[in-house]
Amino acid sequence: MLYEFRYLAPRTKAELAKVLADHAEDGKYLAGGTDLLPNIRNGLMKPAWVIDGKKLAGAQDIAFSQADGLVIGSAATINDVLRSKDARERYPVLCACAHELASHQIRNRATVAGNVVNASPCSDMAPALLCLGASAVLSSAAGERRVPFSEFFAGVKKTVLKPGEWLERIEVPAASAGARGAYKKLKRIAGHDLGIVGVLMVKGPMGLRFGVSSAAPTPVLVPSVAESDAPEAAVAEVLAAVSPISDVRGSKEYREHMIGVYVRRLLAEVK
Amino acid sequence: MKIKLTVNGLSYERDCAEHRTLLRFLREDLGLTGTKEGCGMGECGACTVIMDGRAVNSCMVLAVEADGAVIHTIEGEANGPSLSDIQKAFEKHHAVQCGFCTPGMVMSVKELLARNSKPDAEEVKEAVEGNFCRCTGYVQIVEAVAELAGSGDKGGLEHV
Repeated sequence: MLYEFRYLAPRTKAELAKVLADHAEDGKYLAGGTDLLPNIRNGLMKPAWVIDGKKLAGAQDIAFSQADGLVIGSAATINDVLRSKDARERYPVLCACAHELASHQIRNRATVAGNVVNASPCSDMAPALLCLGASAVLSSAAGERRVPFSEFFAGVKKTVLKPGEWLERIEVPAASAGARGAYKKLKRIAGHDLGIVGVLMVKGPMGLRFGVSSAAPTPVLVPSVAESDAPEAAVAEVLAAVSPISDVRGSKEYREHMIGVYVRRLLAEVK
Repeated sequence: MKIKLTVNGLSYERDCAEHRTLLRFLREDLGLTGTKEGCGMGECGACTVIMDGRAVNSCMVLAVEADGAVIHTIEGEANGPSLSDIQKAFEKHHAVQCGFCTPGMVMSVKELLARNSKPDAEEVKEAVEGNFCRCTGYVQIVEAVAELAGSGDKGGLEHV
């Protein structure tokens, strides 16, 4: 049972900006709700106001243009990405990560924006957005600012979002279209689960990159690994960039070992 | 807050507390107790309903978010004493043991078949990945859907 909070669903950006500014201290932005509502239920968050950003016109849209790349609206769900022809054809690694996120029902509600604003170290979308050089466009009453995802995460469950700001859209550059790769996610069960560790490898115009989840306080980007390197050199580079801990899902040593296993497999599999 | 929504083809207009989940609204305000609460946090899928054509965990949707939505629950499946095709297939293949997961399982299968009338076994397993059956009767569920899809593809699963 949820405790009593109030609900607001602004219809315009100006209204949303005002409501978020008014409730900067006692409000929480509601995207897909697949993290916020369980957190409220479990008593981890107690907002007086829940502010639903999904009712803004166009917030669910995903569109591609050469100028802006793939633009993912604040309320676009994980399955919206998987259904988007542009995402499937131009950004297969984004879809590979989306496909690994939770269960089908959750993918029908959870948003890409929510997955990154939540800033969990085990975010499945963050490795793809980091490797593809994507940016977050943050909005507030003061206007917009653009933050590359390489500068977006500030710690466990922390981002650079300021009170009163929301993630208005995500832009994945057109230059990253066509990048190939694969995402390997280690879980406790074959079905849906949080990752023990996840490794995305991307080969594209920006060279060879790795994105790693569940291996540091924030999702990790290893931006340039020399393609000619022997696998062990790449493994060493990735391991140097992460700092996994031991927790209920796995030990530090197990995580480090499996990162090495996945980097070697990805190098062998993705041509 | 006043909300209007359609559930199983009927329109409802109700005053609803803003912190009420769609699950509780369906069960307690509309008396539609076929949809179950399992974990209450999106792990088990017992609360799965179809909202605007998509299978969702109704424990993680606020009733006020569903204002204007079209909802389908297990109560909308049978027509009087006549079971739906999915229910008939579940019955024929014994895809029901204790039955607690079944309403959600049927909703996930219904959504799958609406978007993909010929799923293979992997697609069936993915569609019900978020629906836990603690009797572990998954083989029969995949068999039931394989018959509905006319594929006979059981994904290499065998009875033990």
